[in-house]
Amino acid sequence: MADKKMNFFEKMQALDRRYIYLVVALAIIIPLLVPFNSKTYVTEPTENIYKKIDSFSGRNDRAVLLCFDHDASTMAELFPMEVAILRHCFERDVQVFTICFMPTAKPLMDYALQTAKEGYEVQSGVDYVNFGFRPWAIRIPTMLKMGDDISEAVEYDDEGRKLTNLPIMKEIMNYNEMNLVVDFAASAAVLSWITYARARFGANVAAGVTAVMAADNYIYLQTGQLIGMLGGLKGAAEYEKLVDVFACHMEPDENGIMQPAPRDFSKEIIKNTWIKMSDIKNRMHKTARIGMNAQTVAHLMIIVFIILGNIGYFISKRKKNKVN
Amino acid sequence: MKRQIPLLIVIILGFIFVIHVFVPHKASADFYDWYQTWIKAISPFMVLLGIMSLFMVHSTKIKRKVPNWQYSVVTLASLIGTGAVGFIWGTQAGTPFMWLFKNVQMPMGATMFSLLAFYIASAAYKAFRARSTEATVLLIAAIIVMLGQVPIGIKISKLIPEASHWILNVPNLAAKRGIAMGVGLGMTATSLKILLGIERTYMGGGK
Amino acid sequence: MSFEVISNFIAAFFTLSIFSFLYKDNPFYKFAEAVFIGVSMGYAIPLVYQDIFIPFVYRPIFVEYKFLILIPTLIGYLITFRFSKNLSWLSRYPIAFSMAIVGMGVPLSMHSYVLVQMRSAMLPVDNINTALIFIGTVTILLYFFFSKEHKGVYGKVTNIGIWFMMVGFGASFGYTVMARISLLIGRIQFLLGDWLGLMK
Repeated sequence: MADKKMNFFEKMQALDRRYIYLVVALAIIIPLLVPFNSKTYVTEPTENIYKKIDSFSGRNDRAVLLCFDHDASTMAELFPMEVAILRHCFERDVQVFTICFMPTAKPLMDYALQTAKEGYEVQSGVDYVNFGFRPWAIRIPTMLKMGDDISEAVEYDDEGRKLTNLPIMKEIMNYNEMNLVVDFAASAAVLSWITYARARFGANVAAGVTAVMAADNYIYLQTGQLIGMLGGLKGAAEYEKLVDVFACHMEPDENGIMQPAPRDFSKEIIKNTWIKMSDIKNRMHKTARIGMNAQTVAHLMIIVFIILGNIGYFISKRKKNKVN
Repeated sequence: MKRQIPLLIVIILGFIFVIHVFVPHKASADFYDWYQTWIKAISPFMVLLGIMSLFMVHSTKIKRKVPNWQYSVVTLASLIGTGAVGFIWGTQAGTPFMWLFKNVQMPMGATMFSLLAFYIASAAYKAFRARSTEATVLLIAAIIVMLGQVPIGIKISKLIPEASHWILNVPNLAAKRGIAMGVGLGMTATSLKILLGIERTYMGGGK
Repeated sequence: MSFEVISNFIAAFFTLSIFSFLYKDNPFYKFAEAVFIGVSMGYAIPLVYQDIFIPFVYRPIFVEYKFLILIPTLIGYLITFRFSKNLSWLSRYPIAFSMAIVGMGVPLSMHSYVLVQMRSAMLPVDNINTALIFIGTVTILLYFFFSKEHKGVYGKVTNIGIWFMMVGFGASFGYTVMARISLLIGRIQFLLGDWLGLMK
């Protein structure tokens, strides 16, 4: 019997990788087709970004800059967080700027704006401005010049309009007003914002990073060099939840008709609120949270793979030792 | 002329930049404005380099009819086609340029990297072994963080997200800080070497 | 068949062509890869022209008549000599101009990566966690000090550093698994949702 078991594990060790691929695909497809409600708990680095952006609500002398430092390869993780933050800004009347320094990030930036704008009556140049694409070679000069004068650093927006002529720029001069920069990256790109915008001008910097980069950024969170961080799909799911619970909160009026009633962040509310995924009609507003269901199953699968692989390894090791 | 003058440009401008960090004088600010205007005018040509390189590699393949040269034709046709579409109809939302992004570039870019999910799962099964105590510690930390990130972690036990949080904020933080300080010192040293003209590899070979 | 359906079908074709590599290398994958490289690079041309060349080269020279901009334009153009056998040295001039900014990086990166990190590593040791962070940081720094042989008491101290690093690498690995799976989830969401319409 024992011998038989060992043979089974040995066979399992030599399993063709394509069977493993099939299991991986199924572990993701099934939970996406059979959705279930899983609770996303919100972490402090996400809360901090939300609270900071929310504090700019309705102010003409405050703005957020979103810097898109990634291409389509990591879109699955970063795009939902970009849409969620933009939605937050549009919902709460927060002035927002977007910029990118990679050609392949430009269409992503446009796509994120286009997606988030749906359902909002926001106007380019008044509620938001797309600064467009600038080459990587002038990334540092641009972020440094923004410390003196954003209109001089960027000069023209994506539509070729001079920034100084845009109403949104009336009360915005430099990092004192554009008080938060959120960098979305699959690399250590946020570090240059920390090095140049934070160290030299004291700008608040936050990161929306792929999970690969998340563990490396905890040191900057502890020092306060980053005021907050969204890490991977989980970070995106957390932000989506915060936007739904607070910024997009609805309450019935006297006639029982649901009306927008945004509310301030509160730990108590977030703890006791449960949002049913089926109640959110727009799929783009819940992409990350739906994805987290599949993520749960996939993580369990990987853990099982590690355990099975190790059992097989130890059994064959013991067998080898016995033979010797 | 060939090497010394570019080196001098780096050294002189570089040291002015060091001073610029500490001196908020008008002359310092004017210098920065001048640099900003010049570097903006220089920058568009930098992108040409990548395009030229791609053209040269693939046109050589086509000329020499190397195996699979037909794919080089596809690459060059896609390059020219995408560029032309951008010039003719513009690059704003709703143009064919955006359509190409949404339906050609984006799906492939995203899929290319998603292949890694299969490879990491296969590696988890075939290669991640607790061969030593250190490797076991690594695996246990990884499993806790993996469970701590997904909703099921908190369902299994409230301790899992707490343990994951602790790992990330204490031992992970110490580890990454130790490494980051080394990297920071290395970066500063390399920058200094460039400023002093000791490090010259970025200029390319030749005399 | 609506335009959106056709568009999704094309996107799905390219997605599946790339996935086909999991089985083995094949002409569909090769074709998709070739298109991908070309399209990705092709993006840069109109964008650089429209967002960089026009506002920062053409407009200053031909609209605002700032002829001094001709000098950096010429310097920038020299980069195209990179592939010339005899004149490649000319391309060093634009590189030199863009490298000069490292001067600013010397004090600022020292500040961000070393000084601020050191300050935060030396917080008052008033609880077990700050003590652990301090011990971890110091032992890892000692581990990377290779001028002294790692044996005896010193070896044991640096060994503590290794343990901290293993936990750190474990955390990174856990997050990396999450990242890779997320990317696949994104693609499968597209195939099941946008293409096949099986997701609500």
